[in-house]
Amino acid sequence: MGRRVKVTIDGKVFSAEEGESLLAVALRNGIDIPHLCYEECLEPYGSCRLCIVEVVEGFKKGITTSCTLGCVDGLKVLTNTPEIEKHRKVLFELYLAQAPNSEKLKKLAEKFGVYSTRFKEKNLKNDPLNGKCVMCGLCVRVCNDVLGVGAINFIGRGYRATVNVPYFEESDVCKGCKACVEVCPVDAIDYSDVGDKRVMISWSNTKVDLIKCSVCGRYFSPLPVFGSVSKKLSEYGVVCDVCPDCRKRLIAKNMTSSGGYNSYA
Amino acid sequence: MRVFTDSRIEKAERELLAADKPRISVGLATCGISVGGDRVFEEFKRLIEEKGYDVSLKKTGCIGFCKEEPLVNVKLPGKAILVLHRVTPEDVPEILQKVESGDDSFNKVLFQIDVWDHKTVPPISYGQPYEGIKRWQEIDFFKYQEKLVLRNAGIIDPESIEEYLAVGGYRALAKALNMSPEEVIEEVKISGLRGRGGAGFPTGLKWEFTRKEKSDKKYVICNADEGDPGAYMNRNEMESDPHSLIEGMIIGAYAVGADEGIIYVRAEYPLAVERLQRAVEEAREWGFLGKNILGSDFSFDIKIVKGAGAFVCGEETALIASIEGRIGRPRPRPPFPAQRGLWGKPTNINNVETWMNIPLIILKGGEWFKQFGSESNSGTKVFSLVGKVNNVGLVEVELGTPLSRIVFDIGKGAPGGKKIKAVQTGGPSGGCIPEWLFDTPVDYVNLAKLGSIMGSGGIVVMDEDTCMVDTARYFLDFTVDESCGKCVPCREGLKRMLDILDDITKGRGKKEDISLLKELASTVKVTSLCGLGQTAPNPVITTLKYFEDEYIEHVVRKRCPAKVCVELIEYEIDEEACTGCGMCARRCPVSAITGEIGKSFSIDKDKCIKCGTCLDVCKFNAVKKVSRGLEDG
Amino acid sequence: MDFKVVDEIIDKYKDPSGRILGILEDIQDTYNYLPKEVMVYVSKKLNVPLSSLYSVATFYSFFNLEPVGEHLISVCMGTACHVKGAPELLESLKHLLGIDVNEVTDDGKFVLTTTDRKFSLSSARCFGCCSMAPVIRIDDRIYGYVKIKDLPAILKEYGWKEK
Repeated sequence: MGRRVKVTIDGKVFSAEEGESLLAVALRNGIDIPHLCYEECLEPYGSCRLCIVEVVEGFKKGITTSCTLGCVDGLKVLTNTPEIEKHRKVLFELYLAQAPNSEKLKKLAEKFGVYSTRFKEKNLKNDPLNGKCVMCGLCVRVCNDVLGVGAINFIGRGYRATVNVPYFEESDVCKGCKACVEVCPVDAIDYSDVGDKRVMISWSNTKVDLIKCSVCGRYFSPLPVFGSVSKKLSEYGVVCDVCPDCRKRLIAKNMTSSGGYNSYA
Repeated sequence: MRVFTDSRIEKAERELLAADKPRISVGLATCGISVGGDRVFEEFKRLIEEKGYDVSLKKTGCIGFCKEEPLVNVKLPGKAILVLHRVTPEDVPEILQKVESGDDSFNKVLFQIDVWDHKTVPPISYGQPYEGIKRWQEIDFFKYQEKLVLRNAGIIDPESIEEYLAVGGYRALAKALNMSPEEVIEEVKISGLRGRGGAGFPTGLKWEFTRKEKSDKKYVICNADEGDPGAYMNRNEMESDPHSLIEGMIIGAYAVGADEGIIYVRAEYPLAVERLQRAVEEAREWGFLGKNILGSDFSFDIKIVKGAGAFVCGEETALIASIEGRIGRPRPRPPFPAQRGLWGKPTNINNVETWMNIPLIILKGGEWFKQFGSESNSGTKVFSLVGKVNNVGLVEVELGTPLSRIVFDIGKGAPGGKKIKAVQTGGPSGGCIPEWLFDTPVDYVNLAKLGSIMGSGGIVVMDEDTCMVDTARYFLDFTVDESCGKCVPCREGLKRMLDILDDITKGRGKKEDISLLKELASTVKVTSLCGLGQTAPNPVITTLKYFEDEYIEHVVRKRCPAKVCVELIEYEIDEEACTGCGMCARRCPVSAITGEIGKSFSIDKDKCIKCGTCLDVCKFNAVKKVSRGLEDG
Repeated sequence: MDFKVVDEIIDKYKDPSGRILGILEDIQDTYNYLPKEVMVYVSKKLNVPLSSLYSVATFYSFFNLEPVGEHLISVCMGTACHVKGAPELLESLKHLLGIDVNEVTDDGKFVLTTTDRKFSLSSARCFGCCSMAPVIRIDDRIYGYVKIKDLPAILKEYGWKEK
């Protein structure tokens, strides 16, 4: 644990760990600052720019993103000045034009008072992400930096940049874990479980085998993910080709019958 | 006087002075080569070999007078250096004959150099001046210049470390190694040197940050990713005097405590890469790089990394990402590279020109350096003066020199007596400065006040035939293309600004577009992550500030006053002036021009694609651009 | 495909600094573009995800993922060249070479190749020859002060024939 410091957000004083992200402190204390690219498990990235605040006392005064703003003692910020609202509105408008098909984005924008955009919808022909992606980069970072899989990455640069699998061809490294789907703030990534296959629709229809529950017969987990986990667990004599629902049932049954913990952990 | 005694240096010194035999050196930087300097050099080489002339033939860099290239320096024993301009291979036999026979009545002499101050040694007298030939300081182009960074450019052979040593090279390094790192940093702090890459951060302070970091490993990097379109001083500096850069880096590494250096140079500069590579190897051979430099316990080496075409990699954190093999996406600072840089280690990054000032500062002292320039803007800056100006070239002047001196006294105004309208400083990150503000002293502070920046030192001159809306559009097109795509204001915002400017230049603009443009410009400037996005709106903001009337002309009357915006003009042939030669019709790529030989020709406006070929090929100025705007409505 | 050349290139780059860019640049020098099978090979050999190599290859404008023509013509679009007529040069070159499209490829890079694969045309960001504006580069040679009327003569040096 680092040193505790006091920071002031909109006039209220909060305790924080020195160096931690101001956005984290604000969110923890119920101060709503919009954000798309921030995720606790990752280092602040600073790409979505929505979490801008105005520093009135601190290392560098002026407007900056709160996710990348480290807490120091005496830091004072404002989250809702007219200038911030003005810029945030333009940023939201840019997003709405970039990702016109994301309902989740629309809701976020509306929450902060932006209902429409003055800009034309981005030309989205052949967009594998169907006009929903906001290029926050969370999926890429989770896939690469957290999981070390590296199935997807940024492609191209500037306003033409997008995220996908290399060459827009089915990936042979994607494990179908759908961490990308989970982390996406705007529900841009599509997948579908069909029979014994998981299809990562957005990633050029990359297909991954699913494993079948040995009890109920349901397909429940992608084989590449499951493979490595089950191999590890089998070394401890743990059987795990059982879906979570059946596992719960089995545990309950065993507990009532034998009264002990068993191998279906 | 010499720190290093070596027979090879003595030989180089004799060669420089042409003590034993005449010396001919051809200006072979990329600019000289592109107008045939290499062919001139080859011709000299061929003839010298063929005829067995006793002449030493050398390469040299560029003295900066690019307009007059190819330049050839001819030096007869005991005499001053004669600089010949616009030399072609056909001139070579005569030059050689005269050199051989000691006849000094050369044609195409532009000026002579009898004494040259390399700064690192007392001024060198190259030889007896010729009568009736202007000395270099008497030429307007050079008169107002102060050559610190370009102290050796165009005189010595950049491919010879011996010649660099002969004019005082690596003496500063020897001196620095006898100082403590803290003393070296103190000297740089006293000098007041500010980073020449654009932002102007004090160099000594930056070094101190890196020095103070505790780490088992530190790096120094030379940012040679000169991406600003219209600026080429770094290219020339590296091609003309690579050792000054290397010496500066070694001193810097010693000061901050780094043992590894990287020169990140853009791939578009193959000759610079080649010369740097060679210079690094030479420096290694001589013991200026490698283990225990000059017998001290300081070890350091340099490697060269080629960029792959991304303007954003001029930004420090993107540059680091690029060296690490990743895409050049900047990251938020802090942590600064001084704290967490290449491979997570403290890293000090400086621009080419910053490094090249270092040997001078160490050798002559920070106080000496401060005599040049103005208050809190010490030293000189090399500018590439290009565009609609007579004397295009590289110009090194003291900071604080007024723009008018650079554009009019040195640059000699616009060709064809046209009226100069503005200059753009700082490239796509800078802004335009209108002619009525040309008394502004050029330094970091004053340019910023006008909404522009110093940037890397590009000055592009624009005359009455330049459309300011088109210029803003041009820069936006550049930054849109070069945006890395990480943060939304730069990625999406700039593109939206470009769309609006596209509409305006194509006659589709609406009045409310101008206010939307202003609003977007402000948000992009304030909320972008890195310097690229934060400065990209500058060309738009400044052209709107100084030339809003041109925007309004485009929007309201659908006219381009400078007749540049293709959609708003038409080409016409003036019947009076047309001689009926038919050249235009023959060269028109879409056969839009018809007529009768000997009479006159006309352009079918429906077929015309406005490529400008007819205007270019007409010898009689009969082809005209005319506005097609709403003149009457 | 013989990967011996690729192995040699990879072996040249031991130091991690500048390694990936250096390897890709050398591969492009060898093949005149980045062939997909070589990219896959490099990815396996370096143990770097293909997605990350592909990301680098599409980010930097120097890299081509498709083969380019025998001669690569680049028109400098630097500021000095722009104000001195580079856009007109580009238009004129398109016509001379018979390339009459005005669009960019999917990855946003602008390289147009003639049907006989003899020439590729692209725009470039400043060769640092601003004093000679406008300039074009063909292969390794830079031409300064280029006028539209000089273009046919320059192209003929590279085996271009007037239609």
